[in-house]
This record gives sequence, structure tokens and C-alpha cells, in this order.
Amino acid sequence: MTSSAVTTVIAEPRSGTGFLPRAEFQHLIDLLAEDGRTVIGPTVSDGAIVYGEVRAVTDLPVGVGAEQSPGRYRLVDHHDARYFAYAVGPTSWKRFVFPPTLELAQSHRDEQGHVSFGPVRHEIPKMAFLGVRACELAALGIEDRVLLGGPYTDEDFRRRRDNALIVAVQCAEPGGTCFCTSMGTGPGVRGGHDVLLVELADGFLVSSGSEEGAAIVARLGLADATADQVVEGSDQLVAARDRIGDPVVTAGLHDRLLAKLDSPRWAEIAERCLACTNCTAACPTCFCTSVSQRSDLDGHTAVTERRWDFCFTKGFSAVALGGNFRPRVQDRYRQWLTHKFATWIDQFGTSGCVGCGRCITWCPVGIDVREELNLIAPPPVLGTEAQAAAARAPRTSVFHVDAVRPETHDTVTLTLSTPDGMDWSRLHGEFVMVSAPAIGSIPISISRRLPTGMELTVRAVGPASTFVTGLERGAEVGLSAPLGHGWPVEAAHDHDVVIVGGGMGFPPLRPVVDEILAHRASFGDVHVYHGARTPGDLLYKEELAAWASRGDLEVGVTVDRADATWLGRVGVVTQLFDHARWDGTKAIAFVCGPERMIQATVSTLAARGITQDRIFISMERHMECGVGLCGHCQMGPFFVCKDGPVFSLAQLGDVFGREGI
Amino acid sequence: MPETEGSTARTEHDAEFVALLNATWFGANLPPEAQVRLVGLARRYQAPAGTTLLTEGQLANEIGIVLSGRVSLRTLVPEQGWVTILTVEPGDIFGQSALVPPYRSTSTVVALQPVDVLALDGPGLRAALAADHDLAAVLYPRVLQALARRLNATRLQMLDLFAR
Repeated sequence: MTSSAVTTVIAEPRSGTGFLPRAEFQHLIDLLAEDGRTVIGPTVSDGAIVYGEVRAVTDLPVGVGAEQSPGRYRLVDHHDARYFAYAVGPTSWKRFVFPPTLELAQSHRDEQGHVSFGPVRHEIPKMAFLGVRACELAALGIEDRVLLGGPYTDEDFRRRRDNALIVAVQCAEPGGTCFCTSMGTGPGVRGGHDVLLVELADGFLVSSGSEEGAAIVARLGLADATADQVVEGSDQLVAARDRIGDPVVTAGLHDRLLAKLDSPRWAEIAERCLACTNCTAACPTCFCTSVSQRSDLDGHTAVTERRWDFCFTKGFSAVALGGNFRPRVQDRYRQWLTHKFATWIDQFGTSGCVGCGRCITWCPVGIDVREELNLIAPPPVLGTEAQAAAARAPRTSVFHVDAVRPETHDTVTLTLSTPDGMDWSRLHGEFVMVSAPAIGSIPISISRRLPTGMELTVRAVGPASTFVTGLERGAEVGLSAPLGHGWPVEAAHDHDVVIVGGGMGFPPLRPVVDEILAHRASFGDVHVYHGARTPGDLLYKEELAAWASRGDLEVGVTVDRADATWLGRVGVVTQLFDHARWDGTKAIAFVCGPERMIQATVSTLAARGITQDRIFISMERHMECGVGLCGHCQMGPFFVCKDGPVFSLAQLGDVFGREGI
Repeated sequence: MPETEGSTARTEHDAEFVALLNATWFGANLPPEAQVRLVGLARRYQAPAGTTLLTEGQLANEIGIVLSGRVSLRTLVPEQGWVTILTVEPGDIFGQSALVPPYRSTSTVVALQPVDVLALDGPGLRAALAADHDLAAVLYPRVLQALARRLNATRLQMLDLFAR
């Protein structure tokens, strides 16, 4: 048997590689187009080699190459007949599978005020990508992981990916900014393609990487490549690899980089960085987006549109009323670089960089990430673990406003229900995305769980929240729910519980109090502390009084300032308990409020003996999609919407309280 | 005999005041010598809600330790009226200006509830702290803690965190 197996190997020496003479290349283009595909490949346009429609060999950059260095790109004439003797240009395949702008949904409000929401399903053309490099295949693989690999997926992306045939071309002409070798993505193609071409002086080695590709190769009717031709191809690849070298030491880069969050280099780079977003726009893996609403003039119909967005823009991490978690360019550069090379690995099990060099070439001031990485984080071993994600898919449902209760001059509590028959009180998300036609959607914490729906306490701080607080009984809104991880109330069983809610940080904690009161005997001593700006800003005043009168929980209330008519406490919320008699060593704490208040509170709680693993806090960040796909709410290795917003202090580590993260 | 009775009465009085001190975080667990010193300077009084205990700008002759009830520290702001900066709760002190030149109160102190106060004579305490370094070494850290706590709270209030 052994001898026959050996015989089989020897009897089939064919590599499966055919040879396509250069003069017959048009035949391949025609074959690709014949199946109804739009063939997209390299073309010369605007002084660069960019991807566009290719109908004939003459559309290709025949004999054209490009010189690339940091901040510089120039076309050059090779004076030869090669089509693919260039390194990647400013465009990537991302734009064809993940369009820069995309209509996602339409929403309507009829004359009676009923609202409806519907997705937009696009016609996806059949496409053939001609000239895909190894680094770009890796980039598509990373996008697959980001957009399709988690519990929430981008279906439009999936359909475009499914409709794209990949004709890869082996790299023979690396550019001056390439570092695929360091990132482990090239220059050799190692899969993910349907057809693979290796360009030689007088033609192409052709092989297939899929059944679909094999069918096309079969239709070409090629003669087998000769051994010399195969060797010529592999020599080119070796030469390409040697030219690139290994400019970035990636071993241990994840840990090294995250250990340098306080490097002075970030500020130095920021002196050069224009925050122009060129690097992120040219990047083949950057996936962050923003969603906006375009409305018709009467406000009845609105289109929800997604567009690429970039962590370099100031507005990307902005929250209501002018707040911004990454106000400085150094914060945004650090976010980008640490995400690409470190926290991306925590999130997706792979680096976010493929080493294509676009961000270096197209940086107008020539910032070179290869150099910056080596300067900031000069080498160790990385051990990563993909984030386990919640498996529940969020639903978008139309909810009715059953009641509106004013809490303060700018804050209301809405009671919402939906007749979908589901027991909403059993769903465990922390927040919902509230949406309305022409308004867009905003994240709101659930302030009470009800069998038929929920209560939401909303403060009017921006256009969308002002709209929501203005809703009247009988109105309809869309809700995506439930989202995020909530408070681990079950972890507090048999423990004392300390609940500290400051300002609008109190509503998310109300369901915790509800849960405790529903199972009071399962918990030890319970302390509820609420701080507000003024007596007029206190929330749930009657409920607080009712809780206090029960006798089985302590309720403390304080305000930051008051006039002489206020007989209650004045002072910061920490003074409610910094000299209290309870013993923190048996307590679990749940804290929510402005981040600086949380910092002061956790310091006081820690001084009272509550350890970091028993202090849970809710983080505020700019949340748009709610499911970890849009990228806005990134905070170090976390997506706040998906991994939080509730975290233990131990989980956050030194991410908590760090400036500009 | 009367002398003994007087002494007993004095001892009972001191013991009561020491117990009161020990029930406050400000006064708890001071060395016995310090406690004796303090109770020698102390008087206890009650005041109904609404009583002004100290007036901003006036001499602060006593440091008050709140035993029960709540007092407010207020300041008069043109066009806003009286603004409460802070409330002082049982265990905490007010009138510490009695220790700091020019010994004038920096806010007006008004009882919000009926209050029970242990008051230490300001000039007497200053003299005792100047003469008795052991007393100063144990008391000043308490005063410093009270002030630091108040300073930190004031900073957070200035940030007006709940405005957004």
C-alpha cells in the first residue's frame, strides 16, 4: 500500500498550473465578463493606479509602475509590456464590498403618526476583482472577520463578498512603503482567491484556488506551465520578499504597544499629524462608519445612510453637549495605531494591519508607521483571546408611548410597550437604540423593565433626545433592543450592595434596585445613593422616599448646590458614604454617572474596602450601531456597546480614567 | 465631701463628653490626654432649626462638632440669595475658622434641623494647641482631614459634573 501511495504522487507531477501567453490575456478578461460580471482591476487615472472597470487589456496599466515612499507617489514608465508591475495604489477593494456610502434603511411616518421602518436591499452586481494582491486578500479576510465573524453581521457586505470572484496576482514589484512580510500577509498568495496569476515576462502562470476558479481556468484551455516558468515565478516572489525585508518587529508588538500608552512620542507625532484621515480612508481594513438620516422636507420619509467615518475626525468620539473623549490629535493617533496593531487582536484575534503601506504613502506629511512602531514600542510574546460576544441578535420593533412622566424641567420618563407578546422584562440588555424617522437613533439606558416593554428616562440634551422627550402618549418609536451587557445583579446575591448614581447616571441603576427589591431576602444590606446638581434635578423623588420608608434599605440623597429652602444634604455624592458605618469588605458596588464622578466614587469605595472586581461601573462613549460594528465606542480593547457598557474596574484595568482613550 | 462630689460630677461630665467625642469620626479614638484637654474646653448646646450659629465675616469663637441634626454652610450671592455650599452632618465640624487667622467665619452656618453641638472654645483651643504639642500632633491631622475632604468636594462641585 505504501509503495502504491508513493507511486501515485510520482505519477501526478502536475502542479495544476497552466501558462497563459500575454497575447491571450484578453481571453481571460472576456471569460470573466462573459458570466455577467463587471471586471474591476487596475487602471491609470488621476496620476495613480486605481481600481476601475476593465474591459480590455488596454485599460490596464501596461508598462506602468509607481514609486512610493512616505508621503510620495509617482507613476513611472517601466518600458515593458507588464500589466501588474506596480505596488497597490490609493484605492482598495474595500470600496466595492463595503461602499463609502450606503443606504441602509428607510423610515416613514404617516398622517396618523404611525411610524414604520424598513431595510433597503440593494441589487448587488456580479463582480470579478482582477489583480488582487496577497496583502489585499488578507485585508478582505480581516474584513470578513470583523463584519461577518461575530454574532452581528453586515449582510450587505456578505452579499457583495459572495458576488465577487477573486483573481489574485502574485506580487513581483513591491513598493517603497510595503511591509506585508512583517505582518505575515505576503508577498505570496496563500489562499482566499479563486484564480491566481503569476505575471512572467511573456505571459502568466495560472492556477485555481476554488471550484469556481477551476472552472474558469479549465475554460481557458491552457497548456501546462514549464518547470522553468514556474521557477521564474518563484524567483520573482523571493526577490520581492528580499526587497521588502522585515521592517517591523511584530513579535510581542501587542503588549509592547499597550505598555506605551503614556509615551511622549504620541504628542510628538501629533505635531506632524494633520488628522486628515487619509491613512484611514486608504486603509483596506478600517471599517468605522457613521449613520445619518436624510429626510424629505415634510419629514414623512427618511433615508438612513451609512458612510465611512474615521477615528481621526474630532466628531467621531463626541458625545452630547460638546463632550469628547479623544479631543486631541495625539489621542486619536494613539487610538488608531493601538487599535490597528494591538486592541484589534483582542477584539478579532488578528492584527488590523496587512502591511500594504497605503497609510505611509498617502500621509501628506509622510508619517511612517513602520518607523513609529519601532520608536514607540521597541520586542515579547502575545497571547490573545477572541472576545466572547453575546449571541442574542437585537430586534428592531415599533413601540408605543403609553405614558410620559416629567421628572425635571428637562427630563421625562417614558413608558413604552409593544404588542409583540414577548416578555421584555426577561431580556437582559442594558440599553436600547431609540430611533425615529428623520431623527436617527440614540442610545438610552433602560430605567425599568416591564413585561410588555420598559421605561426610559431621557434628558433633552441634543436634537434627538429633545425629540424623544417631546414624544406624547400614543406616539410610536423604533427600538433596537436589548443591547449591551448590564449590571451583574446576580453576582451581588448574599452580599451587601452599594448603589451610587449621579445625575443621569441614576436611571440605569433603577432596574438594579427593582431587582433587589423583588428578591430582597437574597441580598444583604443595601445602600442607594443619588447625587444631583440641584434639588430640582433629583430623579424619582417619590420612589426614593418610598424606598427610604421601607426600612430595609438606606437611601441617601445629596445635591451639589441648593438655595435656602432645601433642607436636605448639600455636598458631593461621595460624602454620603465616606464616613458611613457599613463594611465594604462584604459589599458589591454599582456606580454610574459622569466619568469624573465615577473616579471619585470608586476611590472612596476602594478606601472603604471594596475590591476592584466588586466595583461595577457603566461607561459612556459615543454609541451608534449598538453591536460593535461601527467602531465609534472603542475604548482600548473594548467596544463599549457590545462588551459593556457595564464593566468591573478589574476588567477595565488601566483603561479606566486614562486621558484621551 | 463636697469636693469629692464636685470631682465626681466633673468626672461624669467629662466621661459623657468623651463618649460624645468618640461617637464622631472627628473626635473618635484620640489619646485620653487629648480627650481630657478637649472636654475641658467644650460646651454642649442644642439649637432649633433655623438658628444662625455663625455669621460670615464675624469672629468664629468656637469650633462646633455636630452630634446630631444638620447644619448648612451658606453664602449670600447677589441676585441668587442664600446659596448652600455644603451641609455638615453628624460627626463633622464647622467653625474651624476659629483656628485660622483672622478667626472670622467664611460662611454663615444655619441649623437646618434641630441640632445638638459639642463646641470647643476657640481662643482656649488655640492656646492649648500652642502649649501642648502632643495635642497639636493628634488634633491637627483631624482638622486637616476635614479640610482636605471639604476641599476635594468643593473641587468636584466646581466641575459641575451633572450639568451635562
